[in-house]
Amino acid sequence: MDILLYMQNETAKIAILVAIATLIFLLMPVFLILYIRSYNRHKKNHFVEKQLMQETFSAEMLKAKVEVQDQTMQSIATDLHDNVGQLLSLTTLTLNSVNLNDTEKAAKKIENSLSLVNKSIKELRELAKLLHGEQLVSEGIGYAIEQEVNWLSKSGVFQLKVQNELTRLEHFSPDKDLIILRLMQEIINNIIKHAQATHIEINAYLENDKLFLNIAEDGVGFDYDNAKKNNTGMGLSSIRKRMEMINGKLMLNSTVGQGTSISLEIPYP
Amino acid sequence: MKLPSPVISIEIVSLTAAIVLLTRDKNSFWKIVMLYIAIALFFESYGSYLNSKKINNLWWFNMFIFLEAGFILYGLYHCLRKYINPLNIIVAGTIIVYGSYGLSVILNGYKQYNILCVNVMSVLFTVYALYYYYLLLRDEHFIVLKSHPEFWWVTGVLFYYFGSTMANIFDGMFNFKVLNWLPLRYLIYIVLNLILHSLWIYSFICRMKQRKLQS
Repeated sequence: MDILLYMQNETAKIAILVAIATLIFLLMPVFLILYIRSYNRHKKNHFVEKQLMQETFSAEMLKAKVEVQDQTMQSIATDLHDNVGQLLSLTTLTLNSVNLNDTEKAAKKIENSLSLVNKSIKELRELAKLLHGEQLVSEGIGYAIEQEVNWLSKSGVFQLKVQNELTRLEHFSPDKDLIILRLMQEIINNIIKHAQATHIEINAYLENDKLFLNIAEDGVGFDYDNAKKNNTGMGLSSIRKRMEMINGKLMLNSTVGQGTSISLEIPYP
Repeated sequence: MKLPSPVISIEIVSLTAAIVLLTRDKNSFWKIVMLYIAIALFFESYGSYLNSKKINNLWWFNMFIFLEAGFILYGLYHCLRKYINPLNIIVAGTIIVYGSYGLSVILNGYKQYNILCVNVMSVLFTVYALYYYYLLLRDEHFIVLKSHPEFWWVTGVLFYYFGSTMANIFDGMFNFKVLNWLPLRYLIYIVLNLILHSLWIYSFICRMKQRKLQS
């Protein structure tokens, strides 16, 4: 009788244990689902934030692109007005003053006119190159830099030392590429117009998802702090602004009489 | 007229919901779900009939376990393949489940309830369901949980098999009756079926909404 009672007690204990354990086993998935729900919500927020950041970035890139295009158009307009326009006006004046009866003078004037027309053609080619930028970067920034260097070497004015590792890039960022190319063109134009340099050294490479573009020359140099303070930086403020737009860093070293070096560091792609 | 048992009632509701919500679904998985519930209802009804005639129905439910294992493995394969290629792990699971089924039949014959296979299924299907959750969390895309049919189908599986673990382990060791006609083992079975089919019906609703959005 005692044994039977004991067994009944034991059965009841096991039954209670099973009932409680089953309840716990059913509660655990509930908490698991709550955790998954919360994690999923965080993931959703993160996704939305990422999308928003991407949209903001695209909008900024578009803005930068429009600004760069505006500036390019302005340069073209200025060059057309100041250089090509002047050259052609001078050509017209010279040709108008040709006296066919005085063959010796006429020949000299025609020769001068031809020289002016040739200069105009050269200037127009330069302008065409500016407009050509988007097509150049379509094959990658490495290729665009290479073309820029080729053009510079053809001028024969500078001794160049170039190391361009960007031709082997696997990933591109077309929006950034155009801005980087325009920055490089701006820097080289500044060197041509103001630096009076004889040697130019260009290094372009990618390291830890950052694109580095270093340009150094041995020209006259300038007082960078002074230029910064007076905001007369020969296009430097526009370079700085464009670098900010693509989250890049600009480092400039210049010593009067010893030349200037500019380093660009841009997150890439 | 005698009322159907609670489990049969739950399965009738589930089958009705499946027919209403999934009949037009062209996806083979959801069609098989509907077929499976119909088969489960048939097995449960005939098992109940045998029981009412005091005839051993364990061999009958052992046959159902065979189908149940196959269906749940197929369902988990369908859900997991959205994240990985689960063929290897599902094949391994199939070998383990049917191996244990065969072993139990050899050792105990087919007239004894195949508790070994049921225990193996509980553990294995719980692991698969948790692995599905892990893959879902690891995936970089987020899903809208409250309207994701596969998630709720797997959740039903997890509740049913994880919840039945303790009752399966202690099977035959407690004949405790909650009410005169209701053993605790059967009460747990009813609750688990209620949870499983409620979650599955919810997954059918999600699936119907998803299908309507896609069409």
